[in-house]
Amino acid sequence: MLITAAPPATMDDAVSAYHVYVTARLGELRQHALTLKAAVGNADVASARQAWLAAQQCWQRVGAAYGSFGDLGDAIAPGSRGLQAGSADPEFSGLRRIEYGLWHGQGPGELVPVVEKLLADLDALDAKLPELAVDPADMPLRLHEILEDAQRDHLSGVGDQGSGMALALTRADVEATQEVLAMLAGLLESLKAGYPAALDAQLSQLAAAIDATKTTEGWVAYPEVPLAQRQRVNAAIGRALESLALAPALFSTDD
Amino acid sequence: MTDPAPALAAPDRKHTVEIQRRSFIVGAGGAAATGLLASCASNATEPPAAKLASDAAVPFRGANQAGIYRPAPQQQAACFAAFKVLCSDAADLKSLLQRLTVKASLLGGGHKASDALPAVELSGVTGAPPVNSGVMGEDVPAAGFTMTLGLAGSLFDNPAYGLAAKKPRGLTDMKVFPNDQIDEAWIGGDLILQLCADSSDMVHYALRDIMKATRGQLQLQWKINGFHNAPRPEGAPRNLFGYKDGVVNPDEAEQLVWIGKESSQPAWTEGGTFMVVRIIRMLVEFWDRVGLGEQDNMIGRHRASGAPLGMAKETDTPDYSSDPEGTTIPLDAHIRLANPRTKETAGSRMLRRGYNYELGVDLNGNLQAGLIFTSFQQSIQDQFEATQTRLANEPMVDYIQPFGGGYFFVPPGVRDANGYLGEGLFA
Repeated sequence: MLITAAPPATMDDAVSAYHVYVTARLGELRQHALTLKAAVGNADVASARQAWLAAQQCWQRVGAAYGSFGDLGDAIAPGSRGLQAGSADPEFSGLRRIEYGLWHGQGPGELVPVVEKLLADLDALDAKLPELAVDPADMPLRLHEILEDAQRDHLSGVGDQGSGMALALTRADVEATQEVLAMLAGLLESLKAGYPAALDAQLSQLAAAIDATKTTEGWVAYPEVPLAQRQRVNAAIGRALESLALAPALFSTDD
Repeated sequence: MTDPAPALAAPDRKHTVEIQRRSFIVGAGGAAATGLLASCASNATEPPAAKLASDAAVPFRGANQAGIYRPAPQQQAACFAAFKVLCSDAADLKSLLQRLTVKASLLGGGHKASDALPAVELSGVTGAPPVNSGVMGEDVPAAGFTMTLGLAGSLFDNPAYGLAAKKPRGLTDMKVFPNDQIDEAWIGGDLILQLCADSSDMVHYALRDIMKATRGQLQLQWKINGFHNAPRPEGAPRNLFGYKDGVVNPDEAEQLVWIGKESSQPAWTEGGTFMVVRIIRMLVEFWDRVGLGEQDNMIGRHRASGAPLGMAKETDTPDYSSDPEGTTIPLDAHIRLANPRTKETAGSRMLRRGYNYELGVDLNGNLQAGLIFTSFQQSIQDQFEATQTRLANEPMVDYIQPFGGGYFFVPPGVRDANGYLGEGLFA
């Protein structure tokens, strides 16, 4: 998408490219959040759900796996794990909290403050982003952890707050992984010839397997997807994860 | 069988039998002797499970696959894992079968951390995640491990693999018998692995290891773990109804299991066998509320001794011809229907090698527990189905609910270093 020039030749270049990429995604996310706020304020549930999905997918494309961006990043879309009252806990906030409300009959009274807090958190992240140095060692971790998160949180059903959008979110995670791969491809190729191409093919297979589950009605909740199609998705993500697991070691200098 | 078993090394099979027995690291004598468990009361004093030490290796290679007649004492732990095969074409399927062969051989042989691994096992990346999960420690013992591979009819029907002409005759979908309550979640799959070992951790280790190596080609469809009871106090082990089970199993030399040269099956199947897996919930709470006399009559044996009703020892042969009215052993007793001991029904006997299971709690608060019935035979129709047809509506059906499983063909064994499971499919 953004990477139109030759792949970065050094890790520093890759990190810079990632920064540019993230800044653009956060700008988009802010727009989706504003749309969401308006729809929630109008009690327009259908539009609000649509805007939530666009926002959540946008956040997935940022590729903020495993708590990158620290507390500022964690505030955008934390899960409900570890909260005493689970999804109903007053401490639960962010994009997944909005999802919970939109799929559990909550209206503007409950959700507008949550969206406003989201916007404030986005502003805070945006303001700090230039200072938030991405550790170069994080890039190869990100390459495999984005999809680890997708399998752990989305395809498992654990992270779902009612939308059943696991496949839509996983699809966005595939895009994020493809972006990070594009940034690291040159480096990876020099470390292990043919490896980035193999990853690229496996990610394409995964994307195709996910797309095949989509119906004319749109995305289908993962448990409702026919077993044969789920097996294709599970096989494709499993194969990709096994391959991606080699990436951090390739960059490791500890040996 | 209660008849004295014929010599183990029947002329057409002696070669492989002897190789297997010789290379049995621990308890070779036990392996041979316990094969006669069903017919020799003297063996009853030697519990077969005790014969295998944890580092015992069961030979992988042979004319037939392991996990059926070898090791003769059934291992204590098992996993039955049915997979959907997602290979793209015949070449990909071949590579899967080759990979599974490497796994079966490596896992069954045991290997030390210092042993060299085949290239296919290595990522070639320094510092990559370990190839070994570490569950069995760095040195992985053989632990009596066997992997038995079976293929379902659906694999042969898939046009992507072009195997229609190789499909064994009689490899149908699993038949639904009266009283079966099939749950879609517990049937299907193109390929089954029966993983057996002397310990549950080895079974877990093996399944995890195999799945990691075949992530894009195999997806688990259903799986169930089983355990094999120790003899209480001796002889055949008891099932979860408290009755001795597997007292009468045909010896290998009776030739009821392996597909022979003279069969009407495709040539590549010689040395293979058909495998039936039926997961049978046993309503143990209900059973425990039934009087002993009624239980005995349903089974046809005395619970305490395992002897057929009216007899003294579990290995005694019931004499149905002098009990035509069923006054001693009811006509509908399980053992009488399953094996009427007539000339006509002798050929419908099969090798049973099942495991008990526990699966948590049912909606009604009862234990979900029962039997993973597993049988091996030359013909599903003439052996398993003929037997099961006789058993339809036996009194015991009130206490059991078959709900899953499948029919599979177990290809012949791997004879040499270059061979692989199912290679006859591609010849």
